[in-house]
Amino acid sequence: MQPANTLPRLSFDRGTLLFSGVSPQEVRGIFAPGIWTWDGRVGAWRADALHYAAARNTLSGRFGTAWRNEVPDPPPVRWPKVGLPSLRPEQAEALAAWREASRRGQVIMPTGTGKTEVALAAMAETGAATLVVAPIRDLMYQWHRRILSGLGYDAGIVGDNLYNLQPVTVTTYDSAYIHMGEIGARFGLVVFDEEHHLPGPCRREAAMMCAAPMRLGLTATPERWDGRHVDLDHLVGPVVYAMPFQEARGRTLAEFDVVRVPVALQPDEQATYDACSRQIRHFIALRRRGAPGYGWKDLCAESGADPAARQAQKAYFLKQSIEDRAAEKLRVLEDLFRLHTGQRAIVFAGSNAMAMEVSRRFLVPTILSHTRKRERLAVLDGFSEGRFPVIVANRVLDEGVDVPEAKVAVVIGGQASTRQAKQRLGRILRRTGNVQAVLYEVVCETIKEIERSRTRRRSDAYERTRHRRI
Amino acid sequence: MLTSEHAIVEYDCGRAVPDRLERKGHAHYVAFAERMLAVYRSGIGRERRTLHRQVEALFADEPDCPVRRIRAFCKLLDDASTYQDDPKGEAAKLRLRVFTAAAPLHPLVRQKDRLFEHEEAETKAAIAAEVGMAWDDIDRRLYADVMAFQRLNSFQGYPDAVALLSRYNVAQLQACLYAAERMTVTATQDLKTILRYAKLARLLHDIRRAGPSECVIDFSGPASVLRETRRYGVNFARFLPALLACKGWKMTATLQTPWKTRAVLVLSDRDRYTSALPPPDEFDSTVEEGFATKFGPERDGWRLERESEVLADGQTVFVPDFVFRHEDGTMAFFEIVGFWTPEYLAKKRETLRQFRGHHILLAVPERSLREGAEPGENVVVYKTAIKIEPVLEALDALRARRLRDQALKPPGDSSA
Repeated sequence: MQPANTLPRLSFDRGTLLFSGVSPQEVRGIFAPGIWTWDGRVGAWRADALHYAAARNTLSGRFGTAWRNEVPDPPPVRWPKVGLPSLRPEQAEALAAWREASRRGQVIMPTGTGKTEVALAAMAETGAATLVVAPIRDLMYQWHRRILSGLGYDAGIVGDNLYNLQPVTVTTYDSAYIHMGEIGARFGLVVFDEEHHLPGPCRREAAMMCAAPMRLGLTATPERWDGRHVDLDHLVGPVVYAMPFQEARGRTLAEFDVVRVPVALQPDEQATYDACSRQIRHFIALRRRGAPGYGWKDLCAESGADPAARQAQKAYFLKQSIEDRAAEKLRVLEDLFRLHTGQRAIVFAGSNAMAMEVSRRFLVPTILSHTRKRERLAVLDGFSEGRFPVIVANRVLDEGVDVPEAKVAVVIGGQASTRQAKQRLGRILRRTGNVQAVLYEVVCETIKEIERSRTRRRSDAYERTRHRRI
Repeated sequence: MLTSEHAIVEYDCGRAVPDRLERKGHAHYVAFAERMLAVYRSGIGRERRTLHRQVEALFADEPDCPVRRIRAFCKLLDDASTYQDDPKGEAAKLRLRVFTAAAPLHPLVRQKDRLFEHEEAETKAAIAAEVGMAWDDIDRRLYADVMAFQRLNSFQGYPDAVALLSRYNVAQLQACLYAAERMTVTATQDLKTILRYAKLARLLHDIRRAGPSECVIDFSGPASVLRETRRYGVNFARFLPALLACKGWKMTATLQTPWKTRAVLVLSDRDRYTSALPPPDEFDSTVEEGFATKFGPERDGWRLERESEVLADGQTVFVPDFVFRHEDGTMAFFEIVGFWTPEYLAKKRETLRQFRGHHILLAVPERSLREGAEPGENVVVYKTAIKIEPVLEALDALRARRLRDQALKPPGDSSA
């Protein structure tokens, strides 16, 4: 028996694993190539913490107990009060598939089919210290709420200027990227919610620096425009369960209408808008005399060195803001609110400024990116309990945030994107009785917003929906 | 510090050139800086967005001014400001109260055309009466906690226009380093400061000697051996002001460009950036300063250098206060124990043991010795100031020993 201090030794160092006490030949013999790299600065082998589970198994197989594992063991968690609804068949199937795959893999389910419940059930059955990573603070707070109500556990929060680390903690992708080096060895299970956010060049490091052996990725829309979703196999695990979007429609989700409401600019808005357009056209025409291909990018590049270009750029942003905040949109909102008095409605604004304008006009609460935990909970609870008839959100409510039982959604601004549209629809499509869900799109006539609306409608989320104009 | 959204970097043949306002080409920026400072100094009580608009307006006719530069100035001015925040969440409380009162009256319409509808102005007036504030007051306070609407409370500011511009230049350097993957510093002086601050910034080092009194130090983070990563960019940026305060160094940082290619940022103490940190104390203590002055740059064939050598073993380093180099090639380190506690002495002893293969001369204050303790070889005891004579004696004894050892060694063995 070797003395303990010369035994092979595995430890966690700020998001990486360090391994020492064996010869280079032996390291090459034990492990697959490409995982370990010699680090002369500290005199040890280094690898991403991602490989912890595999390394631990390999070393136990090779050395039995004659090696030192100094990677801390996350403490088991006892759930104070488990009160989870029993899983629907497809949820149970997803959970079983994940269990089969050594608890490492991705579950793909459409919005509104209960991904969160699958994750909570996984947490309940493993009893593991868990880190939940969500894209935005709203979702982070929502996970906090769901863990509290489903498992009776008051999870820690890392993010939104808070740092309260607990055996079960919720965080955002950005905070995970920053802190994973310090907290990466504290969890047995890591849940990546809306995991399509993970493969970005920086955010992926959150997964690489995390030692948690059990991993669960959740999403409705795994594809990424850059094709990087294939890396999720490596970062999270293989796809263990996938339910296609079309299959879910009609079974768990309600049919819905999409109604487009065109609005015109007011005369003074139109005048400013046209003046801005003329200014930009004039500037570009002047430039194109010298450089035929002159475009928006050139204009931006030039704006630092040319006041005229900067004026044109400003005019462009003013046009955008006129579209975004067209006064007529508020009038249309009034009509829609009248039409749906007594029904809960969510308004999606294209900017914070417009969201606050709606809020101040109609005295309805907002959920904005800077809304803090307490107010956020009060507003969301108030909305779901029917104390607030309307909430206004900017893009933060785009994705995965539960807003129960809203039957009316009004989009009065924002960017087109297939995923966003899907997620937004998911908000209002939750099945509750037989009330028809309606999505209104309030769009400025004859301008770019119509284009965006068209792009939205082309996506498969809109297939088989009825389109009306009023 | 700025964020990467404020960074202005030009790339020229693989070189990264961060935005810099220079005395020659940007002389008129001194006037701009003065006016910006004036906007903030006279802007107490104004909303953040108003201040930003005012600053932006100053540059309306300036041909040479990217939007990012204006935003960066606003950020640096904000960094030196205190805004009225809302620690008790007054605005949020007011919102909940007003919205709760308005909820049963939803929707507030401009023109009633049904019996049970509620007219906007009437309803708002009624809610205002209930809350006990004028409606305009309520409307103004409703979102007073939103960043853009916060009001300036006080402005600590910058000493003068030039200080603001210097801060801007360093901040752009730092923002450029956010994209850095690794950094190499070649140093001839101030090694102690450089290594100490790098460690504080949580960087790992790899030290090579490049010649007498010249070290090359590669800085990076743990995962840097596994892949090129920008995650330590913030650490480099944090370390930079300490480096700028030092003398005798060159720095090269490898950066990721927005087009996923590589570029280098090259910098040295000759670039004359003004650090926000004070320069490292010329000497750690008066004892050292006194000794260096008395000794002079050279004496009896020994040249005196300050913090110019580093002994490294993995991540443990020892930078002796002084290095003595004799004409015949003998080198000895001189470490002065000035400030002391038992823990400090124990730690120092441990470090010295680790590097016991080197010639290290120690100066120890008399009061730190236990009564009757024998100082031992290579230790000079001093009371209030270090005398030159005993140091020279110890140095010469050390040199004599080295020469004798060398003579005893068989020819061809060069390990000294």
